[in-house]
Amino acid sequence: MTRHHPDSLSLMEYSAGNLSEPHALCIRLHLDKCAQCRCQVDTLDSLGAVVMEKQPKVSVSGTMFDDILARIDSSTEPRPQVKMQPKTSLLQKLLGEDINNLPWKRQLGDVSVLDITGKFPGQNEQVVLQKLVAGGKAPAHTHRGTETTIVLQGMFSDHKGVFSQWDFVVLTEQDEHKPVALGSEDCITLSVLSAPVKLTGTFTRLLNPFIR
Amino acid sequence: MSNVTNIDHATVKERPVTTLDQQPARAEGRKDPWSQLLVKVGKSQDRQAYHSLFEHFAPQLKYYAMANGMASHADELVQEVFVSIWRRACLYDWQKAAASTWIFTIARNQRIDMLRKMRRSSVEMAVETEDLWQIPGEDDNQPVTSLHRLMSERRVRESLSQLPEDQITVIAKVYMEQKSHQMVADELNIPLGTVKSRVRLALSKLKVILQDQNV
Repeated sequence: MTRHHPDSLSLMEYSAGNLSEPHALCIRLHLDKCAQCRCQVDTLDSLGAVVMEKQPKVSVSGTMFDDILARIDSSTEPRPQVKMQPKTSLLQKLLGEDINNLPWKRQLGDVSVLDITGKFPGQNEQVVLQKLVAGGKAPAHTHRGTETTIVLQGMFSDHKGVFSQWDFVVLTEQDEHKPVALGSEDCITLSVLSAPVKLTGTFTRLLNPFIR
Repeated sequence: MSNVTNIDHATVKERPVTTLDQQPARAEGRKDPWSQLLVKVGKSQDRQAYHSLFEHFAPQLKYYAMANGMASHADELVQEVFVSIWRRACLYDWQKAAASTWIFTIARNQRIDMLRKMRRSSVEMAVETEDLWQIPGEDDNQPVTSLHRLMSERRVRESLSQLPEDQITVIAKVYMEQKSHQMVADELNIPLGTVKSRVRLALSKLKVILQDQNV
């Protein structure tokens, strides 16, 4: 049972489809295990539908419906079946490996990290997995920009409380914390770090083609 | 015989609130004409029902695409959404969501998917659009969940019209123009905190932020 949830504004941006893929992943992993937030997103999706309904309408070309029917009639794709629970979890699909068998890089004392930013091509954020060995302490640190974190395994505590599996944490530059892994399991988190926006060569490549 | 029926009826009325509430909610679901049409498309590939859905939703979807800055791909998005509606209608369950909500989520996912394909670099992403944006369906068959969904949809529709204009403006920019709260603040030239408080006020009036979170 998770106790720390994404705030309603983030759930709204998720429902509107405005989040970056790494942020959407964090929310999606939380929703998987949190009926309460799923309920909120359901309502927010309804809000999206009602907002769309109340906007102006733009008429479509008279031949479009026939074009669609032609596409349907020529399609040989089988009808989709009700989805069974997938054999591999979303995380395994993303990482291609069990989370404990990843090529972790020992960083400082009890902390290991794995940068998986490369799994999200065309994004402007750093995505890292962090592991704190069971009972281990991380050195006190602050954060650059905003760091969104979801606990994937085990639990940790800091001055703000205890965070266990599927809990959601957002830390900003103001938060200095000194996490300690609790329990008998290594604590593994997934964090998305918003990089300060600098208009360098790499950034322009990432610009959404539809930004006006 | 009729006496017995009357007694039964009275007994039903005495039942706990949770049981009783399901009846009007289900009836409400049946009353929604778009959901009825979508069920027909799913069950019997009814092309007339499909056409009625197209007449109603295609102009909304076209505006959605254009507001999103996809003017040159607006027709393509409408087509993709409708092909998807036809293919997936057999999975639609009116007890889980109204047609309008179901179609909105398809449109959102198709928009994300189209943008993603257009800017795809040489590296492929391991997860698909649906993996990130389709809500997991665990425990979805519980009546309480269905009930909550149908009630919330009706409530949202009724209460949205009562919100002040400044709150509706902010919400519409987030949903229709894919603007982050920060971008809305920049555009309206108001502080980010003001945007956030308007959204929070609106969400609490719409009861998105639930008092009883155990539902």
